[in-house]
Amino acid sequence: MNTLPSPTPLPIDKQIIVKAEMVNKNFGSLHVLKDITLEVRQNDVVVVIGPSGSGKSTLLRCINHLEKIDNGRIYVNGRMIGYFERDGRLVEESEKTISQQRAEIGMVFQRFNLFPHLTALGNIIEAPVNVRKTPVDQAEADGERLLARVGLADKRDKYPNQLSGGQQQRVAIARALAMKPSLMLFDEPTSALDPEMIGEVLDVMKELAHEITMIVVSHEMGFARAAANRILFIDEGRILEDTIPDELFANPREDRTKSFLSKILH
Amino acid sequence: MYHFDWVTFWNYLYPPSAFQNPLIRNGFTVTIVVSVVAQVFGVLLGLIAALGKMSKFALPRWIAEAYIWYFRGTPLLVQLMLLFFGLGVTHIYDFPALNLGFVTVSGAIQAGTLALAINEGAYMAEIVRAGIESIDPGQMEAAKSLGMTYGLAMRRIVLPQAAKVIVPPLGNEFNNMMKTTSLLVIISAPELFYAFSQINARLFKPFELFIALSFYYLFLTTVWSFIQARIEASLGERKGVEKGPSMLKRLMTGNVHR
Repeated sequence: MNTLPSPTPLPIDKQIIVKAEMVNKNFGSLHVLKDITLEVRQNDVVVVIGPSGSGKSTLLRCINHLEKIDNGRIYVNGRMIGYFERDGRLVEESEKTISQQRAEIGMVFQRFNLFPHLTALGNIIEAPVNVRKTPVDQAEADGERLLARVGLADKRDKYPNQLSGGQQQRVAIARALAMKPSLMLFDEPTSALDPEMIGEVLDVMKELAHEITMIVVSHEMGFARAAANRILFIDEGRILEDTIPDELFANPREDRTKSFLSKILH
Repeated sequence: MYHFDWVTFWNYLYPPSAFQNPLIRNGFTVTIVVSVVAQVFGVLLGLIAALGKMSKFALPRWIAEAYIWYFRGTPLLVQLMLLFFGLGVTHIYDFPALNLGFVTVSGAIQAGTLALAINEGAYMAEIVRAGIESIDPGQMEAAKSLGMTYGLAMRRIVLPQAAKVIVPPLGNEFNNMMKTTSLLVIISAPELFYAFSQINARLFKPFELFIALSFYYLFLTTVWSFIQARIEASLGERKGVEKGPSMLKRLMTGNVHR
């Protein structure tokens, strides 16, 4: 059980974007992540599945240091996230450094978390203008391009409460892309959506999958089949499977994977 | 039967005649200026105390909690006496008159404004904290995930949204503040109440004079309630919030809260 499945063979020249080494995380007495070791390479699209409470969202949130880790190392683009080492121990980085590291990592949330007091375009340019100090006209021009890309060019002046759930999530994706991240994290991006809106968000994500490294916590198996080159199954804080989607569906190695898949594939 | 002195009443109520009296003229200005300045500093202190109370570090949390505990738990009158006479008699600070060029601010007014601001800050702290805590933590997370620091996220994302929750009780606080300035009479700060007390000491017409005075406060609080309604409406409009109860209803029920 402790031996990890061998990762999908990938061209060696591809750069490693995310590297996790023996990451452990506890919430009080609950051991949510157990010795997580993972490499995600450039342009990988990794779908993470697993029962609720298995630690898949926590893993995602550790990658941009929204959650602290207890031990182990997480690197993004070769830089350790959230900590530096002193005498072999982890010391948390300054807030400023952590913020700069997060700026390189886009995140999309289950509940969208758009800023309700800002328009669609306002949401998108907020961080480029205030964090990156991009001039407003340039940020607006970039923002309009991103809105067009997610199919919402006509909604630039709408507030989040004037948009449907699917539209809000597409704005949230554009907002994350506005920081030109090298990695995108999606935390159950379609779970809070009405069924008829899931497709429009997945379509945007499929487009995106061609050009950016993504880690997606989602049970949308259609998306996994169509867009992902890797799928991880996490249960009780461990990565039990790491393979290509078709392989997982055809030959799940673990009994727990089989029983989980039978539940979500109906 | 008591003979109501309409002439005195009218003399001290009707602004063109009442404002001939420098006590009333200055008192009116002092009441307004002290209220505004004390409220502004009270909000700032409240914001600092609220952030202190929510800090992940123990020291700012303790300082903020002690501050709120003390200033909400003791009478303003005691705080006024302590600040003005207490600091004066020990020569910790004598509150010398402050010359701002166009006007000189007496020590009593400085001490009174300071005491009101510090007292107000303790109440505002709870209001600001409740406002901040009413905002979905996902907002802070989203802001952080975009590379914003805590301070920037607070300023650009959380506080503008919390303002919608903070402004209605803040308006009530200011309404109270204008009335509470009357307590400054205890340190002889020349505000409105002081003015009418001085006039009453000379004329001894308390019934007429204090009815007249009550209209001054009523005027101030009523004008403010209209301004407040405007502010709240403009906050609501931008964020697509439905309108609160009508102005008349709010005045009559005396309930400016939503």
